[in-house]
Amino acid sequence: MSSIDNPHFVLRRLHSLLGVVPVGAFLAFHLWENSQSRFGAEHFNTEVVDALSGLNYLPFIEIGLIALPLAFHAFYGLAIIGSGRPEPLRYGYTRNWLYWLQRVSGVGLLLFILMHVAMTRIAGLMDPAIHADLFGHMRAALSNPWVFGVYLVGLWLAVLHLSNGLATAAISWGLTASAAAQRRFGWVCLGLGLLLGVIGTHGLIGYLIAPTTGIA
Amino acid sequence: MTSITSAQDRPVAALRTRGDNRARGGAPNHLISAGATPSETTAGTPQRNDPAGHARTVTLRIRRQDHPRSLPYWEQFRVRVSSGENVVSMLRKLRLDPVTSDGRRVGPVAFEHNCMEEVCGACAMLIDGRPRPSCSTLLSELGDLIQLEPLPKFPVVRDLMVDRARLFENLKRVRAWVRLDGAYDTHERAPRMSQKQWAADYLFSRCINCGVCAAACPQFPDGAGALEPQADGFVGPAALAQVRLLNAHPLGGYDKPDRLHAIMAEGGLSDCGNAQNCVRVCPKQIPLTSAIGELGRQTTVQVVKDLFGG
Repeated sequence: MSSIDNPHFVLRRLHSLLGVVPVGAFLAFHLWENSQSRFGAEHFNTEVVDALSGLNYLPFIEIGLIALPLAFHAFYGLAIIGSGRPEPLRYGYTRNWLYWLQRVSGVGLLLFILMHVAMTRIAGLMDPAIHADLFGHMRAALSNPWVFGVYLVGLWLAVLHLSNGLATAAISWGLTASAAAQRRFGWVCLGLGLLLGVIGTHGLIGYLIAPTTGIA
Repeated sequence: MTSITSAQDRPVAALRTRGDNRARGGAPNHLISAGATPSETTAGTPQRNDPAGHARTVTLRIRRQDHPRSLPYWEQFRVRVSSGENVVSMLRKLRLDPVTSDGRRVGPVAFEHNCMEEVCGACAMLIDGRPRPSCSTLLSELGDLIQLEPLPKFPVVRDLMVDRARLFENLKRVRAWVRLDGAYDTHERAPRMSQKQWAADYLFSRCINCGVCAAACPQFPDGAGALEPQADGFVGPAALAQVRLLNAHPLGGYDKPDRLHAIMAEGGLSDCGNAQNCVRVCPKQIPLTSAIGELGRQTTVQVVKDLFGG
């Protein structure tokens, strides 16, 4: 049986599955949590950061459910990206541009996520003061227009990669078989992407406009 | 056959115009010859060969290559054409008098064509940067400067001729056939299928293996430099569509698991990147991306059967 003796198919499907669950699901949760930044330092540092830090089995969740699936998705993606030769200018169709953007955003996201994790989670582990006031740390960082710009681009690349990935995963798994179904679900994914992007952008702006008083 | 209706309408209309002139007693029969040589047209009266008055001179830029291993080069020609012509008839006209724009007489441009009605798939090439069958590409759709290149991703034999053997290799890789002989009766009477299924399957049976979908597919490996037909890398949309077609066939369905396992290996279905250029460029308007979606579902079911039995 090809699917058991030869791991090719299962690896490709695993790459697809992990991109949606848990990585994609985590992105939605992450953007939702961080959109609470606008309620200010006290709310964010206690209701968001401390609440998550107090979860049981946190290292298992962070490593087993987020870091490892993300690493597999990223590095397997990098391994197979070379088999494609995109020609977005010769064939200017939307789906073909999205094919190219999916690969460009994937590489960009890997760099962004490494930077993002280093300056938040890793920095928080190194320096307890950063972990204690993650809101203030993020507010200071995002006050720099360059950092804000990089985060805004990273956010929208992530949202694009997830929503387009959902649309193509639906074709790969055979959820959407007909062209009409693929088009319909494409619009659903576009709507989902815009919603997540707006939630995320709102979260980024929230750090800058929220009240600073009452740091926990 | 619906796809070529629009392509055929125009030449038929052009012929009718000629017929009408004849009926009205405008021009005698012997003057109305469609295949005028370039020397006739440039020397004399273009309206004689083109009553509708659409004759024009086009500039042809052709990417030529003398040998499979030699370097390509560009050559430019000027050809007198009428609007009812297609790219193949223009190339045939050029072959009669292969003189470049700067007056050099050169070897005739090599190209392939057979059926002239978009069913053999031999004449696909890059026309103004787009992969298309050159027989169903009418000059009335093109401007005064026409650029021709060999079909990309396939090894060049000479000029616009490419070796498309890889398409056949890919059909063999996915077991795109129906087994009729076995140690048992395959069927007693003619196998039946519903009219609805027949109508859906017919769309995929129209594939002419022209290679246009493969040329436009970003996942189909570039084998232009290969001297032997490759049998690795993504099999391409056309071969996958044949798996979709034959899996649905009453007899072909017997080998459905074998075909699915073939496309679950390297270079199979999951090497598709969903760029969907294939369905946009297919001259036969085959729903290639629907085939890929349906095969996605079939392989999902197959992997469950493989892992859990049933």
